Amino acid sequence: MNSQQQIPRNALVWMIISLFTLAAPHVSRLPLWVLAVYGVAALWRSMVYRGLWSFPGRLAKLALILCACAGIYASYGSMQGLEPTVALLLTAFALKLIELARRKDAYVLLFLGYFICISEFLFSQELLIVLYSVLNITLITTALVALHQPAQHRFNGGSLRLAAVMLTQAFPLMLVLFFLFPRIGPLWSVPIKRHTAKTGVSDAMQPGDISHLSQSDEVAFRVKFQGEIPPRSKLYWRGLVFSRLTDGAWRRLKNHEMASNERWPTPITIDDEPLRYSVIINPTQQHWLYSLRYAESEQAGIKATTDYLLYSSVALEEQYRYRAHSWPDAALEPKLSDWRRRTELQLPKASNPRTRQLARDMRAASASDGAFVAAVLAMFTRQPFVYTLQPPRLGSDPMDRFLFQTRRGFCEHYAYAFAVMMRAADVPARVVAGYQGGEINPVNRTVIVHQFDAHAWVEVWLSGRGWVRVDPTAAVSPQRIELGLEQAVATEGSFLADSPLSPLRYRSISWLNSVRLRYDALTYQWQNWVMGFNSDQQYRVLQELLGQLDTSKFILILLGSGTLVLLPVAGSLLARNRIRTLSPLDQAYLTFCDRLSRLGVMRSPGEGPAAFAERAAQALPQWAPLLQRLTEIYCDLTYADADLSVTRRAQLKQEFKLGLRRLKRARQAH
Amino acid sequence: MRLQDVIDNAVTEVGRVLLGKEPQIRLALCCLFARGHLLIEDLPGMGKTTLSHALADVLGLSYKRVQFTSDLLPADILGVSVYNRNDASFSFHPGPIFTHVLLADEINRTTPRTQSALLEAMAEGQVTVEGETRQLPEPFFVIATQNPIHQSGTYPLPESQLDRFLMRLELGYPHPQAEREMLLRQPGVSSQGLGLQQCIDLEQLQIIRTAVTAVHASDNLLDYLQRLVAYSRQASEFAVGLSPRGALALLGCARTWAVMDSRSHVVPEDLQVIMPAVAAHRLVPNGDYAGDGQALVALLQRNVDVIKP
Repeated sequence: MNSQQQIPRNALVWMIISLFTLAAPHVSRLPLWVLAVYGVAALWRSMVYRGLWSFPGRLAKLALILCACAGIYASYGSMQGLEPTVALLLTAFALKLIELARRKDAYVLLFLGYFICISEFLFSQELLIVLYSVLNITLITTALVALHQPAQHRFNGGSLRLAAVMLTQAFPLMLVLFFLFPRIGPLWSVPIKRHTAKTGVSDAMQPGDISHLSQSDEVAFRVKFQGEIPPRSKLYWRGLVFSRLTDGAWRRLKNHEMASNERWPTPITIDDEPLRYSVIINPTQQHWLYSLRYAESEQAGIKATTDYLLYSSVALEEQYRYRAHSWPDAALEPKLSDWRRRTELQLPKASNPRTRQLARDMRAASASDGAFVAAVLAMFTRQPFVYTLQPPRLGSDPMDRFLFQTRRGFCEHYAYAFAVMMRAADVPARVVAGYQGGEINPVNRTVIVHQFDAHAWVEVWLSGRGWVRVDPTAAVSPQRIELGLEQAVATEGSFLADSPLSPLRYRSISWLNSVRLRYDALTYQWQNWVMGFNSDQQYRVLQELLGQLDTSKFILILLGSGTLVLLPVAGSLLARNRIRTLSPLDQAYLTFCDRLSRLGVMRSPGEGPAAFAERAAQALPQWAPLLQRLTEIYCDLTYADADLSVTRRAQLKQEFKLGLRRLKRARQAH
Repeated sequence: MRLQDVIDNAVTEVGRVLLGKEPQIRLALCCLFARGHLLIEDLPGMGKTTLSHALADVLGLSYKRVQFTSDLLPADILGVSVYNRNDASFSFHPGPIFTHVLLADEINRTTPRTQSALLEAMAEGQVTVEGETRQLPEPFFVIATQNPIHQSGTYPLPESQLDRFLMRLELGYPHPQAEREMLLRQPGVSSQGLGLQQCIDLEQLQIIRTAVTAVHASDNLLDYLQRLVAYSRQASEFAVGLSPRGALALLGCARTWAVMDSRSHVVPEDLQVIMPAVAAHRLVPNGDYAGDGQALVALLQRNVDVIKP
C-alpha cells in the first residue's frame, strides 16, 4: 500500500476518540450490545494498527453487517422509525472503523461523523447538547486535520490546536449564515416515533393521572411577561377543559360532540389593558397550548376554542413559541345556552350514589348556588381531608370511596369530587386541567413551569357571573397554591421522590440554586434567540434593522457580511505571505519578463535569467541581441556588482530602461 | 594559453575515452578544482573507472586503484609497518592511499570500518598510522564508485558519510551515437591504451584554485542560495534539508563553475547546474514523498525563484 494512502497514527487516535464522543449522547437510546460493538471496533482497529490482527475478510464483514441489522431488528422490533435508524447508523459507523484502511475510508468515516453529530439534534436541542456538539465537531475536524499531517506519527495536540483555530476563524461566518441565510423549509420530514410518546397533561383525566405527572421535574414551558408577574396564586395555566364524565374519567368535548351552532367561540370584547406574555413550550406531541384565563393570540396557527382555550393547529413536535394576552377578570359566558347547560350538567346515572345524595342535601340546605359552593369548600376544610402525592387506589364509585372512606387525594381527586357534587346539585361545573403556579427565575424574570406544577381545578357557572374558577385543593392545602407543591407535601417528603438527583430537590443550597436558575435563564435565551429563530423572526429582525427588504438587497447583505467576516482571515493569510518590496532593478526585470511573456515566451518558475534569455533568443531570433544585452545588464548589475563603479551602474540602469522601451515598441509593432 | 582553453582541452581529452559525457566530465573536473571528492554511483560497466583513470591522466597525477571487498581492512589502504630484520626496526610501507588520485572502487562493498578509515583520510588530508601522522600528497582526490544501494551484499554509506563527498554523479547510459562510435573502435585498443595527454599541470591547477577564491558572489546570489537552503529546511517534502556544510559546498562548486565558464562572478545558473550533483545526495525525502534526491532538487529549483519574491 502506498504510504500516501495510509492513515497516520495521530489521525487514527483522534478518530477513535471522536467515535466514542459521538456515540456518547445516544447511549440511553441504544441497546447495550451496540456499545460492545464500539469497544470491539476500537480494539480491532488498534490491533490492526499494531500489526497483531488483520483487517476483516469479505465474509467476516458480511457477517458483521447481517448481525448488526438483525440485532437492531431484534432490539427495536422494527427497522423503521427514528431510533432504529439512528442505532443502525451508529452501528455502521463503528463497523466502518474496522475496515478503515485507506485515506478515502477515513474521509467517509469523518464525514459520516459530522452527520451523526447532527443526528443528536433529532432528539434534543438543549444548550448543553449544542455545546457538546461543538466539542464533537472540533474532534472530528481534528481527526481530519491529523489525516493531512502525515509527519505526525505520534498522538499529539497540535492537530487539535489547528482545528480549534480553524473553527474559531469559521465562527463569524457561521453567525452570518445563521442570522442571514434564508430559512428553507424542510425538504423531507423525519418521522418522530418515540417510546415515550406524549408528555404533559393528556386529554382524559382519571384519579392518579396528575399525581403521576407530578413526579417529573421536566420543564413544561417558560413564560415571559411583558409587565409585572402576577402573584403565583393567580397563575392558573388553563390547558384543557373536561366537560364529559364517562367511565370514571373526565374527557374533553370532541368537535363532533358539540352542537353545530356551538362550535365557534364568541369573542369577548373587553377594553382593559390585557396581560401580555410569550410562552416557549417544550414539545408535547399534543395540540393544546397553555394560557391564563381568557386568552387571545394573534399568532398564525393558533385557534381559540369555545371553552376559551388556545389550540395549535399542528401537534407540538418541537419546541414552540407563542405570544398571547389575557384578561384574567373577564366574565366568561355570562349567558349559558341550553345545549351547554345540558352538557355541563351531564352525569353518568347510578354512579357515586352517596356523593350525589350528599350534594342534593347540601344544596337544599343552602340559599343559593354561591352559598352551596362555599358550603362544599367548607366541608373540605373542616373534615380531615389530606392532600397527598400518594393517594390510595379507588375502585368503582370512586367519589363515594374518596369522600366517605379514604379522604386522601391529590388535586384531581378534589376537582373530580367537587365537579360531581356541583353537577349532582344542578350547578353547571367542569374540570380544568393545566398547570398552577411556576417558579419565578429572578435572573431574567421568567416563570418556569415544571411538570410537577400540573394541576386540576373546577369552573362553576353561576348566574350573573359566568364561569367562576373554584379550586377545592386550595381549601384542603392552601400551601399548594401559595407556595407550590414542594411546600405542600413537605411533611410527606414525597416531592420528586423518584428522582433523587434532580437539582430542584436541592433548592435550599443557595449557590446550587443560583447556578440552576442562571442556566435556566441561559436556556430561555437560547430557546428564544437561537431555536426560535425561524424564518418569521428572521424576517422581522432584518426588517427592524434594515427597513424594507427585497431579494436583491437581501442577497447583497448576505454576500457583503460574508465578505466582511472573511476579510480578517484573508488579511492574515496575505500578511503571512506578504509580497516583499522588490528592488527597482528586480521590478524592471520582471517587467522585462512580462513583456516577453506577451510575446509568447514565459519564464518558467525558478529559471535563471541567462538560461531564460537563451531560450527567449531562440524563440524570438529577431530580438535576440536586445534580449541578451538586457539580460547581460541585469546579471551584471545583480551578480557582478563588485566590479562596477557608481557611474557605470547608473549607465547600465539607463540602458536597461531604454532597452525595455524598445521592447515595448517592438511588442506593439508585433 | 587562457585558463578557459586549458580546461576545455582537458574536457575534450577525457571525452576521447568517455564518449558523449561532457557534462559529467565537467562536473568531475569542477569537483576536483573545488578540492572535493567525487562519488560516482552507477551500475557496473558504465565507465566509472575509465573516467577516473582519464582524469588522472589529463592532470598528470599519480593514480592508484583499490577494489573494495568485504574483507578489506583499513591497513590495506593506509599502509602498515613491517619489522625489518636487517636494521632491527619497523619501517612503514605506505598503502595505496598515498597517491594523487585514488579510485575507491565499489566502496559500499566493504565494511563500515574500512569505509571510515578512507573517509577520515579524505576529510583530513592526512593519515595517522601507529601514532605517526603522515601527510597525503597534494592534490589528493578520491573518486569512489558505488553500485546502487539496493544491490545485495552492500554496506550503504550513511548520510553523514555521503556528506563528505562534494559531488555525487551518475553517468548513465551513453547516447546511441556515442555508443556506436565506441563500438566502431579498433578492437584490442582499450581506453587506457589511447594514451591521453596531460592537459593541466600542477601549477595550472593551483592557478585555477586561486582563481576560484577570487570569484565574487553578490548579495543577490547569496540571497538566492539562502532561500534555497531555507526552503529545503522548511518544506514538508524534505525530511533532511541542506546543512551549512551543504550550503558551503554549493557555493564553492558554483564559484568553481563560474571560473570554468571564465566569469569572475557567480550567476544563479552556476548554482542550478551544479546543484543536482552537489545537493541530491544530501537531501532526504520525507516518508510520504515519492521522489528521490534528484526530484527534490528539481522541486527546490522550481519553487524558489531566482528573483527575490
